[in-house]
Amino acid sequence: MADKNVHFADVMVVGGGISGIQAALDLAACGFRVYLVERSPTIGGKMAQLDKTFPTNDCSMCIESPKFIECDRHPNIEILTYTEIDDVSGQAGDFTVRLTRKPRYIREERCTGCTTCVEYCPVEVPDPFNQFLSPNKAVHIYFSQAVPLVPYIDENCLYLREKKCSICTTVCKNQAIDLNQRPQKLELNVGAIVLAPGYEIFNPRLRNDYGYGLYPNVVTSLDFERLLCSTGPFQGEILRPSDRRHPHRIAWLHCVGSRQVIPGGNSYCSAVCCSYIQKQVILAKDHDSSIEAAVFHNDIRAFGKDFERFYQRAAALPGVRFVRSYATVVRELPNSHNLAVRYSTFDQGVHEEEFDMVVLGVGLNPPSAAGELARKFGIDLEAHGFCQLNERNPVATSRPGIFVSGAFRGPLDIPESVFTASAAGAEVGALLGYRRGKLSRERQYPPERDVSAEEPRVGVFLCHCGANIGRVVNVPEVVKYATTLKNVVHAEEGLFICSTDAAQKIANTIREKKLNRVVVAACTPRTHEPLFRDTLREGGINQYFFEMANIREHCSWVHSKQKEEATRKAKDLVRMSVARSLKLEPLPEYELEVTPVALVVGGGPAGMTAALALADQGFEVHLAEKENDLGGAARRLRSSLEGLDVQALIRELVYKIYRHPLVHVYHQARLVDVSGYVGNFHTRIESEGRVVTINHGVAVLATGAEEYRPREYLYGQDQRVMTQLELEAELAAGGERLRRASSLVMIQCVGSRTPERNYCSRVCCRQAVKNALRLKELNPGLRIFILYRDMRTYGFSEDYYRLAAEKGVLFVRYEPPENPEVAAAESEGRKVLRVSVTDPVLGGRLALDADLVVLSAGVVPSTGTAEMVRLFKVPLSPDGFFQEAHVKLRPVDFAAEGVFLCGSGHYPKTITEAMAQARGAAGRAATILSRRALVASGAVCQVKEEDCVSCGACISACSYGAIEFRSTPRGKKAVVNPVLCKGDGLCNAKCPTGAIVLKHFTDEEVFNQLEAALAPEKWLAEESSAGEGAAR
Amino acid sequence: MEAPVQHLEPIFEIAQEVSTAGGRVNTLCFQCGKCDVVCPWNRVSRFSMRRLIRQSIFGLSEIESEELWRCSTCGNCTRECPRGVTQIDIARALRRLATAYGVFAGGARPLRTVRGSLQAEGNPLGFARAQRAAWAAGLEVPEFSEECEYLLFVGCYYAYDPRLKKVAAAAVRVLGRAGVSFGILGQEESCCGESIRKCGSEDLFRALARQNIKTFIDRGVRKMVVLSPHCYHAFKHDYREFMVNFEVVHLSELLASLAQAGRLEMKGAFPARVTFHDPCYLGRHNGLFEPPRELLRLVPGLELVEMAENRASSLCCGGGGGRIWMDTPRRERFSDLRLAQAMETGAQVLISCCPYCISNFEDSRINSGGEGRIEVRDLVEIIDQVTGN
Repeated sequence: MADKNVHFADVMVVGGGISGIQAALDLAACGFRVYLVERSPTIGGKMAQLDKTFPTNDCSMCIESPKFIECDRHPNIEILTYTEIDDVSGQAGDFTVRLTRKPRYIREERCTGCTTCVEYCPVEVPDPFNQFLSPNKAVHIYFSQAVPLVPYIDENCLYLREKKCSICTTVCKNQAIDLNQRPQKLELNVGAIVLAPGYEIFNPRLRNDYGYGLYPNVVTSLDFERLLCSTGPFQGEILRPSDRRHPHRIAWLHCVGSRQVIPGGNSYCSAVCCSYIQKQVILAKDHDSSIEAAVFHNDIRAFGKDFERFYQRAAALPGVRFVRSYATVVRELPNSHNLAVRYSTFDQGVHEEEFDMVVLGVGLNPPSAAGELARKFGIDLEAHGFCQLNERNPVATSRPGIFVSGAFRGPLDIPESVFTASAAGAEVGALLGYRRGKLSRERQYPPERDVSAEEPRVGVFLCHCGANIGRVVNVPEVVKYATTLKNVVHAEEGLFICSTDAAQKIANTIREKKLNRVVVAACTPRTHEPLFRDTLREGGINQYFFEMANIREHCSWVHSKQKEEATRKAKDLVRMSVARSLKLEPLPEYELEVTPVALVVGGGPAGMTAALALADQGFEVHLAEKENDLGGAARRLRSSLEGLDVQALIRELVYKIYRHPLVHVYHQARLVDVSGYVGNFHTRIESEGRVVTINHGVAVLATGAEEYRPREYLYGQDQRVMTQLELEAELAAGGERLRRASSLVMIQCVGSRTPERNYCSRVCCRQAVKNALRLKELNPGLRIFILYRDMRTYGFSEDYYRLAAEKGVLFVRYEPPENPEVAAAESEGRKVLRVSVTDPVLGGRLALDADLVVLSAGVVPSTGTAEMVRLFKVPLSPDGFFQEAHVKLRPVDFAAEGVFLCGSGHYPKTITEAMAQARGAAGRAATILSRRALVASGAVCQVKEEDCVSCGACISACSYGAIEFRSTPRGKKAVVNPVLCKGDGLCNAKCPTGAIVLKHFTDEEVFNQLEAALAPEKWLAEESSAGEGAAR
Repeated sequence: MEAPVQHLEPIFEIAQEVSTAGGRVNTLCFQCGKCDVVCPWNRVSRFSMRRLIRQSIFGLSEIESEELWRCSTCGNCTRECPRGVTQIDIARALRRLATAYGVFAGGARPLRTVRGSLQAEGNPLGFARAQRAAWAAGLEVPEFSEECEYLLFVGCYYAYDPRLKKVAAAAVRVLGRAGVSFGILGQEESCCGESIRKCGSEDLFRALARQNIKTFIDRGVRKMVVLSPHCYHAFKHDYREFMVNFEVVHLSELLASLAQAGRLEMKGAFPARVTFHDPCYLGRHNGLFEPPRELLRLVPGLELVEMAENRASSLCCGGGGGRIWMDTPRRERFSDLRLAQAMETGAQVLISCCPYCISNFEDSRINSGGEGRIEVRDLVEIIDQVTGN
C-alpha cells in the first residue's frame, strides 16, 4: 500500500442507520472487513430519533444503541462518519470508492467527549437531532449515545463564518479542536457494496396544505417523537412549541404526503404511519391520561405481526377517537394558537373542531440524495425514486456487486430493514466467500486478572439514562449512598453509562482502582448485560463479576410519580446488587465446535431461497420438504401483483436446488427428532422410507402457512363460492365460467381479523386487487365488487389499488358486526348469489347480484409450524406463528440459538417478502456457520452428583432437553449438558435435594441479595472506610 | 328508535350513462371525505360531493334532487383529492343526465330560460344579439379586422350587465392607452359556453363553440385577450377539443406584461388598502395567481393586503358551474363569507377580475351590510383610473 489514503476492505456499507448497522455487524461476524460510511456525524439513523417502537413500545434508543457500541468495538468494522461518497468505479469484487471526510474541526483521536467546548460555545443553533425544536450549540455532540462520541462544529460557528471567536480552542484541555481542518479525501478498495441510505420524511412545508411551518402547533410525527422522548426538546414532556404548555386535545392526521396523486405527494402508502400514529396515541396517553386524542384516517393498515391488536389497544383507550375521514387544518385561532380542524363523518357531515396541537402523519420519501446516489453507484431507481429492485432477488440492485437494504428499497419498517440487511449480508457472502476471513481481525482482550486472593472491591456505576432515570431518582444521592456500602471502593454517575466513552471509563476504572466486582445501576440486562460484560473483559477481569441493578424499568418508570420512594428503592436495589456481587464467582465459558452445515425445513420459496443463499455462501445444506414436490403453497399462485411469474420462479428455484452440489433434498420428509444445540444439532429425518441422521450447525425453519378453509358465506355449499386461491386456479385454467360471468363479488377478511384469528392476513387485499385486475383482462365487461374492511394495499401496492379502481372495480366498505350476507336468489330469471352489504356513504344496504363470490380466506399457520415447537423448542405467537427473538431487531432469529425462521411460518407475507426474509435468515445463519467455534454461557446448571437421588424431576422440568441420566459408578445420575442449558433455573426449583445449582445464581449469591433487602444496616461499611474513592 | 335499514338496488344502466357522459372517474373515489371537508358548501349548509359520487357509481343518482346542481366547480376538491378524482367532470355528467331528461330541480329552474336565451341570442341574459355591442357606443372601439393583433373577446356579462359594461369600457380605454392593436366582434360574438357546459348542456356548448370558432377563423383571429376567466378557460381548454389552438391571454396577464414593458404609464395614484380575490377560473383552474398582483403592486399609493384564503385556497364566490344563474338563498351565498373575509383585512376595496365574482360581491355588498364599508372593483377599473388623465 503505497498511498496511505487507500484502504482495503471487503465491503462498504453506505448508511449508518439500523439497516446499515445490522449489515455491518452480520458481515463482520462472517469474517469480512467492513467500512461503515455515514454522512451525518454519528451512526444511528432515523431509529435513534424515535422515542419508542411499535408494536411492543420498546425504547428505540435503548435497543439500538448497544449495536452502536458493538459496531464501534468490532475489530472488523471501521466507522467513517461525516463522510460523503464522491464516486465509485470498478466492478463486483473490485470496487474503488472515493470519499470525502468532511471536517468536524475536531481531532477525533484527542477528543474525550467531555463537552466543555459545547458549554462555552456562544452560538445557539436549532438542534437537528431534536427536529430543530430546541437549541443546541454550533459545536455539539449529535446525541448522547453518538458513535463516535465526538462533537462536530457546524457552519454556524462564528470562526468558520467570520473568523471571530475561537473560545472552544482555548477551553479544550486536549487541544482537540482544529478550526483549520480541511476536507480529507480517501479511497477504499472493496469487493462489494451494501446501500442502506434509508429514507427522508415527507416535508409538509413544501406544499403547505396543513399549515406546517406557519402554525407552530402543527408538528410532524417525527417532531412528535422528539417531544415524547426523554432526551427530546422538553425532556420528555409533551409541550406545545407556541407556549410550552401541555396540549390537551391532539389531532393526528393520516396519510400526509402519502396515498395521493396530487402534485408534491406520493402515490404510494408509506406503510408505517398507521402503526406509528397508534403508538404515539398510546404514548401520549401514557404521558398524560387526560389527553383527548382524535385520529383522522382512511384505511387503517394494521397489516404486520401484532399490529391489529396494537390498533385495538390504541382505539380502546378512553378519550381516543378514530375518525374515518381525511382532515384539514383550516386555520390557527388567534391568541390561543389552537387549530381549527375540519373533517367529515358519514352520518353527521362536515365538522370543524378545535385542537391544541395537530400531528401530521408524514410519509416516507426516498433519501434526498437518491438521484445523486444512483448516479454515483450506477444503479437504477424505480418510478417513485427508490432503489429499483429485482422481484426475484429483492436485495440486489441493477448493478452486480451492489446490494440494497432498508428503506431505500421502499417504505418499510424496522424489522424488514434489519432482515434485508442480513439478506444483503448473505448476498455479499455468496459473492466474496472466497476471501472470507482474509482481512478480518480478532478482538484482543487483556489477560484476565486472577482475583481469587483479593477482597471484593466493588465499583458502582449509576446511569441517569438521559432523563429516564435522573428525572425521578435522585442519582447523586444514590451515588453517595453507594459509597457507604461494604466493599464499595468506587461509585460514580453518568448521563448514559452505555455510551462508548462511559464504557471505556469503566474499563479504565477497573484497572486503576483494582475493582474486582462491577455493579451498574441502569436499565435492563436483557439489552445491556452483554455490553457491560464485554467492558469487564476490557478491564481485565472475568465478565461474570458483573451485576446489574435495574433502576429504570423496575424503578423510575414504574414509580415516576413518587420520586422520594423511587430514590429509596434505587438505593435498595443498588445495595442488593452490591451484596450479590460479593459472592459472584469467575465462570469459564465453553468453546463449541461448529458443524458448518445447515438444515432447512420447508421447501417453499422461502425454504428454497434460504437453502440456496446458504449453499451459495459455501455451506452444505439439507433441505427437508414434507411433500413430494418442492414449491409449497406457492404452487397454487400464478403471478404476483407486480407481474412476477410465480410458476416460472418456482421452476427456476427447483432447478437451482437440484443442481447445487451443496444442497441435499429430502422429499416426503418428516423430522423424527432433534437433539444437540447450536453448532451441533443432530436431526433424524424420515424420508421416502428411510431414516437418516443429519449433523448440522444451524436450522432454518420455513414451514409456511395455509389458506383458511372458510365456513362462511355458503362456502362448500354452493359451487359458485370459492376462495382466492381457487379463483387463481380457475384463472390459470382459462376460466370458462369466469368468461361467462357478468358480476363477481369478492369478500375480504374471511377468517381474518376475527375473535378467533385476531390478526390481518396481510396478503389478501393485494391478492384481491391482483385477481380483480386479471379478471378485468380476461372479461372486461365483468362487474367486480370488492367488499373490504380496510384496503391494506401497503407500500407500492397502493398504485395497483388505484389502478383497479380506475379499471372500474368497485370497492365497498363494510364494518362488522354488519357483515355482508350471501344468499342464493333469482333475478330477472337469472340464478344469482345475492350479496347484501351496508355502504357507509350511502347509508343503506346495497343488494349486489353476483354470478360468483370469491372469498379472501385468511392465512393460517401450517401444521408443520406447530410441529417445530416440539422439535426445536421454539415458541409460537398467540396466533400460532413463529415467535422471533425480538420483533424489531432480531426478526429472523429464534431465542433458541442457532435456529432461524423465515417465510409465512413467521407471519403471512408475499413471495418477494418471504424470499427477502429467507436471505436474511441465511445471512444470520452464516454468522454462526462461518465461525470455527462458538462460546457458550458459563451461567449454567451443574449437578452435585453426591446429592442427586435420580428422581428425574429436573429432566422433566427442563424445556431445552439439557439434562439426562448418565450411568456413574454410583448409579444413574442427572447430568447437565452446559451447552444446551439456558440457565433458567427451573430444575433448581424442582430438585428435592438441592443437588442441582445454577451457576451465577447460587444460593449464596441470592441469599446475600435477599438479606440486603431485608436487613439494610448490615451492609453499611464501617465509618472509617466509608466514602473511600467516591467520585462524582 | 333506529331508522329502518334502507335497501338500495343499484341500477347499473344509469351508472353506465354517468360513465359515458364523462363521469367514469367516479370509480377512483376511495371515500376519504376530503372533498366534503374542503367544499365551500359545507360552510353554509350541508352538501356531500362524496355521496353524490358514491350514488353515481351505483346508478342511484337522483336527478330530481337539487344536490347535483350545487357544485360551483370551484375546483378546491379536485385540487385536494388524493385519488385524482375530477369531481367537476362527475357533476357535469350528472347534469347532462338531468338535462337529457329535462329536469332542472329547485334552484336550477332558471336554466331553462338561460338555455333558451343562449340558443336564440347567444347570451344567457335574455338580451338581444343585436344589442351585444351597445356598451361600446361612443367609445370608438374598433371592429376586429385581420390587421388587429388581438381580438378583444368581451363576454356576455361585460357586454350586457349594467355594472360590468363599465368594466368593458375601462378595458378599452386602458388597452388604447397602452397602444394595443385590438378589435371586437360586435354582435358576431357568442357566449363562450363554458358555464352552460358545466350545467350539462353539452350540445348547446358545442353549438356555441362551433359558432365562435367559425367566426374566429373567418375573421382571421390568431390572438385573443379576454376579460372573463371563464372565457379564458373555455378557449384554453374546452375549445382545444375542436382541434383549434388560438393564443389566449387574460386581460390581467396582458396588462401585467404591458406594465413591465413600460407601456402603461401610472399617472395617478390609488391611495387605498385593497385586497385581491382570486377568481377560481383564473387562479385555481389556470394558475394565474401573480399577474393581477404584479399589476396592483405597480399602482402608486395602493396597499395590497391578502385574505387568509388566497391564491390556490381562495374561497369561491359561488358563481361558477352555472350557479350564477341559479337561485341561491341568502344564507347560502359564499360571496357573503368572502366579502366578510375581505372586510376583516381592513381593505377599503375588494378587487377581482371575473364577471361572476364582481356581480356576486356587488350583490353581497348591498345585501350584507358592506355598503359604505367596502367597494368592489374590477382590476381594470383601478388601472383605468390611475392611467387616465
